[in-house]
Amino acid sequence: MAYSAENLIEVSDLVVKYGDRAVLDGVTLNVRRGETIVILGGSGSGKSTLLRTLVGLMRPSAGCIMFDGMDFTQMSHEDQLELRKKMGVSFQSSALFGSMTVAENVSMPLYEHTKLEKSTIDIMVKIKLELVGLSGFEDYMPAELSGGMKKRAGLARAMAMDPEVIFYDEPSAGLDPIVGAGLDALILKLKQTFELTSIVVTHELASVELIADRVCMLDGGTVVGFGTLDEVKASPHSYVRQFFERRPNEEGEDEAAYLRTLTGGNA
Amino acid sequence: MSALVGYTGRVFLAGLHDFLTACKLLVDTAFWIVVAPLRGKGLRFRAATEQFVSVGYDSLPIVMLISLLLGAILAMQSAYQLESFGVGYLVPDLVAVAAMRELAPLMTAILITGRSGSAFTAEIGTMKVSEEIDALEVMGLNPIKYLVVPKFIGTTLAVPLVTAVATFTMIIGGFLLSALYLGQDATIYLERSADSVTAKDFATGFVKSVFFAIVICLVGVYRGFEVEGGAEGVGKKTTSSVVTSIFLVIVVDVIFTYMFFSEG
Repeated sequence: MAYSAENLIEVSDLVVKYGDRAVLDGVTLNVRRGETIVILGGSGSGKSTLLRTLVGLMRPSAGCIMFDGMDFTQMSHEDQLELRKKMGVSFQSSALFGSMTVAENVSMPLYEHTKLEKSTIDIMVKIKLELVGLSGFEDYMPAELSGGMKKRAGLARAMAMDPEVIFYDEPSAGLDPIVGAGLDALILKLKQTFELTSIVVTHELASVELIADRVCMLDGGTVVGFGTLDEVKASPHSYVRQFFERRPNEEGEDEAAYLRTLTGGNA
Repeated sequence: MSALVGYTGRVFLAGLHDFLTACKLLVDTAFWIVVAPLRGKGLRFRAATEQFVSVGYDSLPIVMLISLLLGAILAMQSAYQLESFGVGYLVPDLVAVAAMRELAPLMTAILITGRSGSAFTAEIGTMKVSEEIDALEVMGLNPIKYLVVPKFIGTTLAVPLVTAVATFTMIIGGFLLSALYLGQDATIYLERSADSVTAKDFATGFVKSVFFAIVICLVGVYRGFEVEGGAEGVGKKTTSSVVTSIFLVIVVDVIFTYMFFSEG
């Protein structure tokens, strides 16, 4: 894929393997500056692996990831660390450090990567927490927060270094619809306020409609649909149709798969 | 037969893989302790101090209590044997030398494995399960520097010092039993204790305790990073961490005891 200044991230022919099994098999996609891409797919489709590879937690066995024109997979460890400062990640389990307060969690990247005074950092932490609607919770421990609040605190930490791109792993998984909708609204607000590029992994159709500029649909480690939500919805691809129509797998298919699991894949 | 050979081979290869990965972990840790601070990347002194306190200071009450009792046991057992040869006055020599060369380092290592080695595995394992390790990495923070180095520094400083305290308490335990129960002369007992130990006995105990500390920390941390799955994974690896650590401590003990023994 030719490099274009419009794209912040360009992924081409990405292959990621667990042992001999290719979890991602030739994924190609591009993320434009300031847009929100939703990566959709069923369980085991490779969407979480794609996210982990994009943020550098997994190494691809082939293909490349261009980040702002630089190949993320080929650069030195030092350069990767520099680049990671431009990325924020909101984890599925929020991944707050359990032994630190909310404020300490949010301030950690600032203390480690900047030489700012403590008073400045305190103010920045307050601003970030206010941004996600958690003012006044500075001294709470993560264990004292509800699921939605943890997600928000994790998001505040991801935003601490004012990243250019933010990755969300299942932002509304395990939350009730109202709290989930609140997070969707927050994702939109962050995007509009900071012109953030956002990459969201989810399978919540309701939030996709609200936040997605474009949708990338994965099945079995390959891209089966990529474009605006309407374009993807109009796709004739059988898996895409099944996904949006919420049809279960055919009984027959299930039985064949079940037999294969019983016989160790030799049936 | 071929199944047995295959099994042995697999166990050996798994062990070799563990060993090589643990060596890499040790090299990485050494890099973050020695080289990285010279390049201005800093060392987390506060975290290391906290680990030192938690591994060392906090374990003192239980270590001292057990050492006191073990010292008394040692005195009784040696008196039982030595007095039958009419050399009961040698009890302090035996207690002091056995405590310093062998029992205090080994007992301390086993206790600290149970207290801290298991805690290292559980802490890092839980962090791994809850994606906290991933969070560190994506923030550009090295998990070795953040989690392993403070534990490594804290443990390698704490274990030899706790071992010294344990040695002393063990000698006191033997002394109290001998003076109060066996009716030996207190002054003579203490004099004999002090005279019987040589610099080499001290070196044996000290060197052992340093290597025990390295084993405890490395195994605890290594098993922690191996955790997969959920709470069950943490439990399994914590158990395995304690078993592996105690086993390796004893292997290291045999090696060093042999080295100091064979050199006369």
